[in-house]
Amino acid sequence: MQLRDNIESPCGLRYMLDQLELQSGYARRWLLDMPMMRTGEEIAQAYAVLHRFVEFIEQVDTPYINTLQFRLQGLKDIRTTIKNLGQKAVLDDIELFEVKHLAILAVDVAERMRNHGLDDAVQIPDLNEVITILDPDGLKMATFYVYDSYCQELRDLRSQMRQHPEQQEDLLLQCAEIEEGVRRDLSQQLHPFAKALEAAQVALAQIDVNLAKALQMKQLGLCFPTISSDESSRYESMFHPQVKDALEKTKKTFQPVTLEFGLKPTLITGANMGGKTVVLKTLTLCQYLFQYGFGIPAEKADIAVKDEIYFCIGDEQSIEKGLSSFAAEMKNIDAVIKASREDRKIVALIDEPARTTNPTEGTALVSALVKVLSGKRLSLVMTTHYDIEPTDAHCLRVKGFENGTMNYELVEVQDGEVPHEALNIAESLGIDKEWIAEARRILTPSNSRGLDKGANSTILGVKKHFC
Amino acid sequence: MDCRAVTPWQPPPIVISGCHNMTALQDQTNMSFINEILNYDSLSIVGLQKNTGKTVSLNYVLDRLPIDRKRIAVTSIGIDGETTDQVTRTQKPEIYLRQGMYFGTSEMHYRQKRIVSELIDVSDENTSLGRVVTAKALTGGKILLSGPSSASGLKRWMKDMHRVGLDLVIIDGALSRLSLASPAVSQSMILATGAAYSTNMTTLVNQTAFVVELINIALTNDFNLNLLMPIEKGVWYVDSEGALHEIKMVSSLSQEIHFEGMDDCKTLYVAGALVDSFLEKVRKNPKLKTTELVVRDFTRIFASPQQYRMFLKSGGKIRVLQKSKLIAVTVNPTSPLGVTLDSDTLCAKLTEAIHLPVYDLMKNNVDDCVPQSSQTKSVCETQTHTMRCN
Repeated sequence: MQLRDNIESPCGLRYMLDQLELQSGYARRWLLDMPMMRTGEEIAQAYAVLHRFVEFIEQVDTPYINTLQFRLQGLKDIRTTIKNLGQKAVLDDIELFEVKHLAILAVDVAERMRNHGLDDAVQIPDLNEVITILDPDGLKMATFYVYDSYCQELRDLRSQMRQHPEQQEDLLLQCAEIEEGVRRDLSQQLHPFAKALEAAQVALAQIDVNLAKALQMKQLGLCFPTISSDESSRYESMFHPQVKDALEKTKKTFQPVTLEFGLKPTLITGANMGGKTVVLKTLTLCQYLFQYGFGIPAEKADIAVKDEIYFCIGDEQSIEKGLSSFAAEMKNIDAVIKASREDRKIVALIDEPARTTNPTEGTALVSALVKVLSGKRLSLVMTTHYDIEPTDAHCLRVKGFENGTMNYELVEVQDGEVPHEALNIAESLGIDKEWIAEARRILTPSNSRGLDKGANSTILGVKKHFC
Repeated sequence: MDCRAVTPWQPPPIVISGCHNMTALQDQTNMSFINEILNYDSLSIVGLQKNTGKTVSLNYVLDRLPIDRKRIAVTSIGIDGETTDQVTRTQKPEIYLRQGMYFGTSEMHYRQKRIVSELIDVSDENTSLGRVVTAKALTGGKILLSGPSSASGLKRWMKDMHRVGLDLVIIDGALSRLSLASPAVSQSMILATGAAYSTNMTTLVNQTAFVVELINIALTNDFNLNLLMPIEKGVWYVDSEGALHEIKMVSSLSQEIHFEGMDDCKTLYVAGALVDSFLEKVRKNPKLKTTELVVRDFTRIFASPQQYRMFLKSGGKIRVLQKSKLIAVTVNPTSPLGVTLDSDTLCAKLTEAIHLPVYDLMKNNVDDCVPQSSQTKSVCETQTHTMRCN
């Protein structure tokens, strides 16, 4: 599962990538092709490197970073050229230029890394010999042609060409033959460096990516996570950078969330507009960021490594497959259940399942889902509005309306009973009074005749909380 | 992009690269034309039509610029580059570069070059013929030009060239509607016209004069320049408070144009093409009587001369965001179909109509056309250095 496969996840991963100040298109491609890390060792190693870059940007001043970024803009994707070189093809001028350009860039950046003790964090192979081959005059310029110095005969022919332009066509033909021979020799000499060139290109992309990640951590106030020793994840003051940014633009603040979840299913209930979906989005985002080695938007995070991440958000319709929103949702959740039967570490974040169907069947489906997924090697975090049957799930509730304002904090509750604040919230939104009053009238017990059992329990709930 | 250190500019001895068969007066006129180019950091050479002698004009200029004083780069926009014109099957002249000139072309054409040159950059800019590469000519010789095809790509390339210390960037700028890049980004311009555009002299003179009129449209004020330059699509208006509003329509080509609620429209900006129907609607709307109409540059005006003149006559005011100083007009009196107009009459009529120097660069026969720096015969079969007009 490469990063590019998850980039469009509704959790907001694209926003994080768009915020990344990558300097070269190749580094972006390299990052998007990066497979999701699935072992603690890999992730720890990635964060150790990133840590070095965070220290680095603390040490140096902005102009130094800007110069390094400017250099990295010169990183080009020359995989085809390197492949040709590896296959002993004769490179043309443009390809030889690309090789020389990469070698000069690699040597330059390697020296900068060495000066700041970063040479062991990302190792760039020494390409000085490549430069020597392609720079016979020792000019140290990132330019290339088949230099006169490669062959005395070539030098003579060219000088003749300048003196006798009328013979240029004939002389050019003779030169072309010699030049081809020189290119063949150069390609042969460069062939052993194909692997080193490839490694240097990747190393430069890694530097670009790590530098961008480090700068992003500073800019967005992200933290380094620890790797959870059990299968539980814990977040302190977690936030969603995109939502936070959007709120700040309208002079509002994001209320950070603290929570912990493990193999025991976690149910989040709460009023409408209580930020439940944002919690799920943030958890999904953090899980991806963790497994692709980015800074985590929280004050503190201890995250469990997973094999699979499932984020099921209810309101997607699959028009191409001709599925309704309900069908699409059922298919997504079905995939989670099937995956849970295999011995893989899974985190599933499901937003209000079965919300689009009738409350009776919806409640049954959700209760059954919790039961089916319990006891598996799966961390389930699910939001719902339904009063589901008591389970041994870990139940959290958004605090909800307090003195007229919304408190987004998550509090532990003993059972999964949901709050009934929809009418209060609707009222606070200034919704038509007649409509709300009529709804209240219907909800009074004397009018409950004809409502089904599920609705009855809802009415009891309302009584309990507000009547 | 790395490049050799810039040699500090020094006033060098003036090298007059005059032609053997030119009179002293012609020589002088010629040099004033070339010297004027040196006042600008960029020049585009545009042809009104294929076969109007644009490439001849470009070669003429390249051959005469004092390269010991100015570091010069040349590129092309549009999809030029075939050795044979795909439409008319006529031979297409290649560009003759002098030693020391820089050029931007596509990977494909770079591989076909007949010149010794040093690569200084391979960009990420993609064209249908591969990436745009930049190189320095180490010997004189012929190349096919095909540079950046997007407006931003061309601007970036020009900026890069100036950044590495080049003094003059020359753009072989087809007035092709197929190219997204506009030659109007250059400071100065040479327009090539000729019988290929029309074999009727009156039509040719009138049409050329109309294009010259468009090229000479004045720039809008600085406030509008700063406000509107970044906007690349849509139709917008600026009210008297200086606030910018977008007019919701698909494009200025759209038939559904409504100017409701625009009682306070000081400036009306069309980022895309300006066509007859739009111009007519603006002219007929009494609310827009004092409005300044702004287009990006003259290449975006697709209105007919009649509609355009009616607009101006009714008191309409039109301005552009970018313009080039038109230095000269060159003519090719021969059409690819074999019709040849009388060069002297054509030049005289054009000069009268546009009040600018007009040159027929193709007057004499083959032997005279050999660029001094090459002495090769095959550069351009019909190029001459003779100027008959003005």
